[in-house]
Amino acid sequence: MDEQILIEKLKQGDEAAFRQVVETWQNMVYNTAIGILQNAEDAEDVAQEVFVQAFESIKTFKAESKFSTWLYRITISKSLDHLRRKKRKKRFAYVQSLFGADNQTIIEKPDFHHPGVILDNKERASVLFKAIDRLPENQKTAFTLHKLEGLSYQEISEVMKTTLSSVESLMHRAKNNLKKWLAEHYESG
Amino acid sequence: MKNKQDIQDAVDKTMDSLDGLQRAMTRPFLFTRIKARLVREEKSFWSRALDFIGRPAVAMAAVVIAVIINATVFFELQSEPAQNAQDEEQVFASEYNLSTNTIYDASIDQ
Repeated sequence: MDEQILIEKLKQGDEAAFRQVVETWQNMVYNTAIGILQNAEDAEDVAQEVFVQAFESIKTFKAESKFSTWLYRITISKSLDHLRRKKRKKRFAYVQSLFGADNQTIIEKPDFHHPGVILDNKERASVLFKAIDRLPENQKTAFTLHKLEGLSYQEISEVMKTTLSSVESLMHRAKNNLKKWLAEHYESG
Repeated sequence: MKNKQDIQDAVDKTMDSLDGLQRAMTRPFLFTRIKARLVREEKSFWSRALDFIGRPAVAMAAVVIAVIINATVFFELQSEPAQNAQDEEQVFASEYNLSTNTIYDASIDQ
């Protein structure tokens, strides 16, 4: 079905159209979310939230951008919100543990293994994901969209509503930061 | 691994470790779970409404509004002219035949 017709049907609340939207874009949404969140359950949860919001707010979608661009924006926004909530909880648990309010120990984040990584690269990719997790939000977003989703800098600039030169700068800084942290990691290893 | 060249090689290989990566796939039946979530959110509308009403800020605002309405009505009634009250008394008295007889009424009876 043509994308425009599909969107029109979705606007009318057509369930078959909604099913098709989910089936067409579910892996794109999930892969982006898992790249940012580095956790399969959280990514599944966010993917559901993304499609629920897309269904509820489809009437606000103007065809000024591609539908996939719109979905990427929702996914990134939801993923970053999820990440912030999780970090807040972690900080709160840490403060609680300092004051001895709770005896529970803070569990370190386990190593993340992306299911789509080639087997030979599994360990190195895990180290890289740990470093990606330290990047500032906008650098992390740009890097994830480029490396995991294969978007061009132009496409990333449309998703992030910024200029092409800003994306180039974000990617340059992201790569420099990652190289620096990885060098530190291997020096100490 | 302390050699500078080794470290540089390891960094480069790690930076390239996502090359050839395939998209992660969702578990099957994602659509079914999304549908269930939509239904759950629709059902919980009233519980969300009750939660909203039960919020301290909302409850306090409702109390303040009720007090303001009461005070407004009270002061409005207080400031009404006394003449009106007298008129109402007269209307009430004549309606229930409570008005005082005058000398003229007595002469008519005779």
